[in-house]
Amino acid sequence: MASIRVENIEKTFGKFKALNGVSLEVRDQEFVVLLGPSGCGKTTLLRIIAGLEQAEKGRVWIGERDVTELPPRARKIAMVFQNYAVFPHLTVLENIAFGLRMQKATPEKIRANVERAAALMHIENLLGRYPAQLSGGQRQRVAVARALAVEPEVLLMDEPLSNLDALLRLEMRAELKRLLAESRTTTLYVTHDQVEAMSLADRIAVMNTGYVVQYDEPMKIYQEPANTFVGGFIGSPPMNFLKLPVEGKQAKIQSLTLDLPTAVSGPEVLLGVRPEDLEAFTMQQPQSFPAEVLVVEPLGPHLLLTLSFGQQHIKATVPPDFEVKAGQTLWFKPQPDRLRWLDPGSGQALTVR
Amino acid sequence: MNLRLFYMFLAIVLVLWVLIPIFLITTLAFSDRPSVFAWPKGLLPQQFSLETLTFFFGVEGVWKAIRNSLTVAAMTLVFSVLLGAPAGYALARYRFAGADAYRLLILMTRAFPLAILAIPLAVQFIQLGIYDTAFGVALVHTALALPFAVLVTSSLFLGIPKELEEAAWTLGCNRIQAFLRVVLPLALPGLAATAIFAFVISWNEVFAATLLTLRERTLPAFLLTSLNDSPLPFRFAGGFFLIVPALVFIFIIRRYLFTLWGIANR
Repeated sequence: MASIRVENIEKTFGKFKALNGVSLEVRDQEFVVLLGPSGCGKTTLLRIIAGLEQAEKGRVWIGERDVTELPPRARKIAMVFQNYAVFPHLTVLENIAFGLRMQKATPEKIRANVERAAALMHIENLLGRYPAQLSGGQRQRVAVARALAVEPEVLLMDEPLSNLDALLRLEMRAELKRLLAESRTTTLYVTHDQVEAMSLADRIAVMNTGYVVQYDEPMKIYQEPANTFVGGFIGSPPMNFLKLPVEGKQAKIQSLTLDLPTAVSGPEVLLGVRPEDLEAFTMQQPQSFPAEVLVVEPLGPHLLLTLSFGQQHIKATVPPDFEVKAGQTLWFKPQPDRLRWLDPGSGQALTVR
Repeated sequence: MNLRLFYMFLAIVLVLWVLIPIFLITTLAFSDRPSVFAWPKGLLPQQFSLETLTFFFGVEGVWKAIRNSLTVAAMTLVFSVLLGAPAGYALARYRFAGADAYRLLILMTRAFPLAILAIPLAVQFIQLGIYDTAFGVALVHTALALPFAVLVTSSLFLGIPKELEEAAWTLGCNRIQAFLRVVLPLALPGLAATAIFAFVISWNEVFAATLLTLRERTLPAFLLTSLNDSPLPFRFAGGFFLIVPALVFIFIIRRYLFTLWGIANR
């Protein structure tokens, strides 16, 4: 078990700059998720830590060891691949034992570790089978067991659940969380699925265009996005961003005035508010603003409303039994302690809480 | 519907075009002397006999030619796989400048007429002292088989996910160990097919073998030079013996050839 530290990693593919000087630290026994849209560099960063790619600049440490120049086999890592990469010509048993055999472990140790890893993943009864005889979910279990069997200092996972169907993914997600909490292995996990990231991570590093945009605990990322990208990428539906005029130390939504946390130089400010943080009323309330309902989408746990506010569109969620029709005007009261203020030019948050 | 019938007809004609000579050669190779000379020939073997084949194997030089052919084909097989597989692996795994040009160049070697090469090659071989040796012929046959070996193994390695190798690296293998423990076992059936194909190319090659040998003839070269002054049964038996190994081998590996070329043409 060890921490991971990368410093100023830069990587270019042809003319495409995949990583622009990324620095990141994963603490010992921590579960960190690299989250971002495709092409943001998250997988590249993971592969550089694994030693499967070489960075042009920057260094990688695992624990106290500088592993920048080391090949993958010397880094004491284990990796789980998106397409499982289970060896098709070996039985499940031999797949799990593969790393241990390469370490020239004693037969007793191999047997013990294989049994433990197989038991953790509930695949004891599959040890004699070949991968072709397994389902996708079972293959994924074998891949994780194979990674855990070598007792790596660091576990790297590259979108391990994305090839599974939705139901199985949900099941494996919970199981992975239990498993990794149990084994206490430092884990770096790549995904583009924000729900997966939120549910699994101790901390999430949100990446975009080769930068780490925000690195924090899941709920902080959700409630206090560092910029409009994070607010828009995390959460479904995404955060609303309203451009509001500034008057002194206050911003105005029609009759509603909201205090700004800091002085704003420009004439406008951006208000970030989550759809569930807008409370809807049919009558005017103090501290509320009106908006016209354009679309009502019943989603089951709630209704999703698309609202027209001036030239801007807003999304809001209301309880499923809320009586509302398209064309109606509702009054919305933002939760004052859940608001995020951002600079309309740069998209960066005004305050770092 | 008419078009369908037309295609069917065309297919049947093509199949007969290939099958009838093979059929005639086979039946006559197993017939006795009179039926070989008989005219019109019967559709079915008239008189089953091993007389023709026995006669064929009794001719002086046949056994030596078969031995030479086997030696040359075996050498071609080894050279083709040992040179072709690494090249195919490189084409499949590494992006390097000129990879596409290289791929094309490999195919171009097949387009280059051997007839133009033959005389300079013979001169060069005499100077090097490998003229009229199995090794010399095997070198030329390797040159002929290599394009197939490279392209087929390249698509073979392309079909083996890179992640399998990478997984092996992260689990403690260096590159060579990962190749030997993961890639090679998976590639083995395809490599065997490549090897057999190289063997068949060499077994059937006649032009280079005729030009580059005098005494150490391979079977096709031996048959070609002795064809005009040998009796009819000898020709049938010889033809049969040339066709059969090729047919059998290609039949065994046909699945690989189809799938591999399907990928190679992509």
